[in-house]
Amino acid sequence: MTGPDPADGAARPERGATAATASGARPVVELRGVTKTYESGGGTVVALSEVDFAVAPGEFVAVVGPSGSGKSTMLNVLGLLDAPSEGDRYLAGRDVTGLTDAERTDARKDAVGFVFQDYHLIPTLTALENVTLPTLFDRDGAADDRARDLLDRVGLGDRLDHTPDRLSGGQKQRVAIARALINRPGVLLADEPTGNLDRATGTTILEEFRRICAAGVAVVAVTHDDLVTEYADRTVELVDGALR
Amino acid sequence: MTARFPALLMARRNLSRNRLRSALAALGIVIGVLAIATLGIFGNVLQTTATSELGGIGNQVIVSPNADAGSETLSPRELREVRRVAADRGTVVPLITDGAVARGSGESTVVQLYGTDDPGALFEARDGTLPTRHRQGAIVGSAVADRLGVEVGGAVEIEGTRYRVVAVLAEGEDVTPVGPDEAVVLPEDEFAQDRYDRVVIGADSGRAAAAVAAEIRDRLNVRTERVSVFELSAVLERIGEFFALLNAFLVGLGSISLLVAGVSIFNVMLMSTAERRQEIGVLRAVGVRRADVLRTLLVEAVLLGVAGGLLGVLASVLLALGLVAYVDGIGLAALPTLANAAYLVGAFAFGVLVSLVSGAYPAWKAARERPVESLRG
Repeated sequence: MTGPDPADGAARPERGATAATASGARPVVELRGVTKTYESGGGTVVALSEVDFAVAPGEFVAVVGPSGSGKSTMLNVLGLLDAPSEGDRYLAGRDVTGLTDAERTDARKDAVGFVFQDYHLIPTLTALENVTLPTLFDRDGAADDRARDLLDRVGLGDRLDHTPDRLSGGQKQRVAIARALINRPGVLLADEPTGNLDRATGTTILEEFRRICAAGVAVVAVTHDDLVTEYADRTVELVDGALR
Repeated sequence: MTARFPALLMARRNLSRNRLRSALAALGIVIGVLAIATLGIFGNVLQTTATSELGGIGNQVIVSPNADAGSETLSPRELREVRRVAADRGTVVPLITDGAVARGSGESTVVQLYGTDDPGALFEARDGTLPTRHRQGAIVGSAVADRLGVEVGGAVEIEGTRYRVVAVLAEGEDVTPVGPDEAVVLPEDEFAQDRYDRVVIGADSGRAAAAVAAEIRDRLNVRTERVSVFELSAVLERIGEFFALLNAFLVGLGSISLLVAGVSIFNVMLMSTAERRQEIGVLRAVGVRRADVLRTLLVEAVLLGVAGGLLGVLASVLLALGLVAYVDGIGLAALPTLANAAYLVGAFAFGVLVSLVSGAYPAWKAARERPVESLRG
C-alpha cells in the first residue's frame, strides 16, 4: 500500500462506524471481511476471501491481479451490483449490506459511478442524453445543465448531440466518465477503463481521473494496465480472491 | 412530452433502432385490429340492412279467433280486452276479412277483402289519398289494380256491387300477414257480418309487441284457446340472435389473427431485449430502477400496439366506406352507429392489450435479470 495523501489529514476516523483509511479520513467505500463464493459446476468457487478494503475521499486506488483473481467481483460488490456471501460493506459510512434491491439501486445511483471497459453507452442516445441517463427517471430539472458542464469539463462541450457511433473510443470513455459523475458520487468504480484505448488516449483518461480525485471523488480502477498503477495513489493486488 | 415521459423517449428510440422489425411487429397488430373491426362492422351492417328490410313487421301482433274452438269472429268483449292490453303500447286496428272475386275493365281476379274505417293505420296510398274515415268506395291493392287495369276514379265490382276506386295502395315491402298488394279495402258497413275477425296491433317496438302478445294470450286463452296470436318479434329475435352469433364468429376469427400478432410481438420483444441485455444491465448499474426498466420495455410493446391499432382502425374505416361505395343497398347511414364505433374502439383496445400482454414477459424477464449477469453479456 502506498503512503497517505498529504492533502487529507483533518478528518478523524469515526470509531465503530468504519475503519480508518490510510489517510485517516472516513472511507467512501469499505469492505470488511467480505467473502464471495459461487456455486459453479461441481463445487464452490471462492471469488473473494476475507477482503478488508477501504478507500478515502479523493483517493485513486488501482486493483491489479491475474485474470480470475476476483477483481471484477470485488468491484461489483463495492458497487452494490453483487452481494457478498459474508462480511459487511459500507458506502459513505452507511452499512449497505442488507439493503433490498430497490434500495441498492438508489444507493448506487446516488453514491457510485461506473466506468466500463466497453464504455457501455446507449447507442440510441446522444452524448448529453447518455450522461443524464442515471437521472432520466428522476424529473431532475438541473441534470441537463450538470451534464453539459461535465461534458464541457471532459472536453466534449462541442459533441453534446453526437450519438456514440460518431465518437472515438477515448471520447466515449469520457462520456462514460461524465455519466458516472452526474449524481456527484463519492466514488467512481472503473473496470479496465483503459483496456480498449491506446496509450495516449488512456493517458488522457487517467489524467481525467486525477482531476476527479482532486475534486474529492475517489476512484477505484480494476486493471491489467501498468499505466493505471502509475497514476494511482496506491495499488492493491488480488490473488485468488485475497488482498496482498 | 418525452421530457416528462422518459420511458416514451427510450422506447421510441429503441423501436427506431430496427425500423423494419418494429414495422413488421406492428403490421401483425394492424392486420388483427383490421380483421376484428372490419368483420365486426360488416356483420353489423349486414344485420342493420337485413332488419331494416324486414321493416316494421316485428312490431305487429295479429289476433284472430281460433277456428278450432268454434269461433269465427272476435266477441266485443275480446276486442275490449285486446284494446285494453294494447293501450299506450301501440295502435289497434280491428278488421273484417273475407275473400272475393273483383271485376273491372273486363278482367277478374281473386282478392283479399279487408273491412276497416281507418285504412290509414295499416296502409299507405300510391295514388289518391286514404280517407281518414272510410265511408264509401274501394281502396285497391297495387297488384289488383294492375291486373284489373283500374286507376283512381275507375270502378271495381265486388260481389255484384260497384265501388269507385278512391286510392291505390303502395306496394308492401314487408312480409306481413296483412299484405296490401292483393287486397281490396272496403268500409266496414259493406260487410254482412258486423263482428271483426282479426285485430292488427301496431306496437311501438318489437319488445312491446312481444309483451302485448304474451299478455293477450294470458288474458284470453286462460281456459280455452279462444284466439290465436301471431307475432313476428320472436322470429326477428331469432334472426337477431343468428346475426349476433355470426358476428361473434367473425370477430372470433379476427381475434385469432390478433393473437398471432401478439405472438409476433412477444418474439420481437424477446429478441430485442436479449440483444440489449448489456444495455439493460447498464441502465440498472447506473441506478435506473427495475420498475423503470420494466416500464420502458412495456411502453415499447404498447407503442407497437398503438401504432398498429391506429393504422388498423384507419384501414377498417376505409374498407367500410369502400363497402358502402361499392355495394348497393347499404347506406352510409349504416356506418356511424354506436355498435360500429364500439368495434373500432374495442379492436384498438384489444390490439393494445395484446401488445401489452405479449411484451410483459420479455420486459419482466429483462428487468429482473441481475445487472451483474447482464453486464457480462
